[in-house]
Amino acid sequence: MKLLDMTKKYGSATHKYPLEPYEVFDGFRGKPSYTYENCIGCTACGVACPSNAINVKLNKENTKLVWEFDAARCIFCGRCDEVCPTSAIVLSKEFELAVKFDKNSLKERGELDVQYCEVCNKPFTTKKLISYNLNRLQKAGWDKNSLDTKVKYIRTCTDCKRNHEVENLTSNFKRGTK
Amino acid sequence: MSKTYVVPEDIKDANNLEAKLEHLKNIKRSFNVFRVDCGSCNGCEIEIFAAITPMWDPERLGFKLVASPRHADILICSGPVTRQMYYPLLRAYEATPDPKVVVAIGACGSSGGIFHDAYSVWGGIDKVIPVDVYIPGCPPHPATIVHGLASALGILEQKLEYKEHKDGSNDSPVLEDSLLGNILFERDVLVEAKRLMSYYFGRKLYEKYINALKNTSDIKDIKKTKKVIEIYSSEEEDSRYEECMQKLHNNVYLKYMKQFVIINDEDKFII
Repeated sequence: MKLLDMTKKYGSATHKYPLEPYEVFDGFRGKPSYTYENCIGCTACGVACPSNAINVKLNKENTKLVWEFDAARCIFCGRCDEVCPTSAIVLSKEFELAVKFDKNSLKERGELDVQYCEVCNKPFTTKKLISYNLNRLQKAGWDKNSLDTKVKYIRTCTDCKRNHEVENLTSNFKRGTK
Repeated sequence: MSKTYVVPEDIKDANNLEAKLEHLKNIKRSFNVFRVDCGSCNGCEIEIFAAITPMWDPERLGFKLVASPRHADILICSGPVTRQMYYPLLRAYEATPDPKVVVAIGACGSSGGIFHDAYSVWGGIDKVIPVDVYIPGCPPHPATIVHGLASALGILEQKLEYKEHKDGSNDSPVLEDSLLGNILFERDVLVEAKRLMSYYFGRKLYEKYINALKNTSDIKDIKKTKKVIEIYSSEEEDSRYEECMQKLHNNVYLKYMKQFVIINDEDKFII
């Protein structure tokens, strides 16, 4: 009874959690929340993820870029949040992550349309990333008319761009001359 | 590593869903938990013991740690199952009276986590024995553990579901107009802010700094902006923000203003 009096005096420190909701502190690193509308498919998060919880891959038919997240493998380091250019992935305060029986409920998946290279017709990035880049170039001071002439170049994959540059550079030289 | 352990028929029969639900009805507010450490880094163990302190007090739900698997109803397994812990895990599993609930805790326990492709581990409890509840987290917060145990007992429901996004538009996400007419300025401010104060505080610093710049009457007047940033940064309670806002101003803003005006030393903050 003495103990009960003491708890009355000092109050109870126990969280009432399963019966009442619990508020986590600011800056808590919970489940990364994914905003599909903002995702441009730049694969920065997939490269940064140390435990391969985020996988960004082309699907088998090369028609879609598939962004996959597995919360079971996530170590909540926040690197995806750090590198995401559009804040599509932000660590939320969600902490109630336990699932029963089916591990698939921990997964999240998003599909983005693929852009094919204008020269070699190879898939190399997403359509959304191209439109995002064009938008940003406009905001960075480029006018629309000069951008329109360069759209084909922007829709070319890096290999073809390199070949194109090499051809440009070497077209003036003949073999054997300096 | 390929799966070699096949759950014996009698254990399989005694552990079907109906038997487990019946068992949960019987144990109600008293369940004994045995903890198996299958090669975990001890982070999950620390959080389990944090979860059974008076702060969270799961004993009001009937949670009790026991020292032998023969006394247990629930097995909590942590770690990616190293080769050495393979047989001890199986012994603990077979020694637990039927029906038993197996909980995989932590990122390693539920899928192998950061060790998922290492050579010396099995990569998750579910590669070896059937698992009922997964508690991800590296390590999971005590509240996550309490939620996992409460959902194992049927007090709380699971919150997560499989999500799939498809057929979005190919339009670019909405971009805000730049303050200086060049969006690279905002990019550089964000990068510098994250470099100075990491991603979480860096984002806050970015918002604070851009908000201060927005409240300037003429953004291209370096004398006025310096005054405004001085006022805003001195109002900050946290001295890190104060210093970093002034650093941002020196390193990024003045770099971009160089093309318009001549920068003297008195325009810079002295830090």
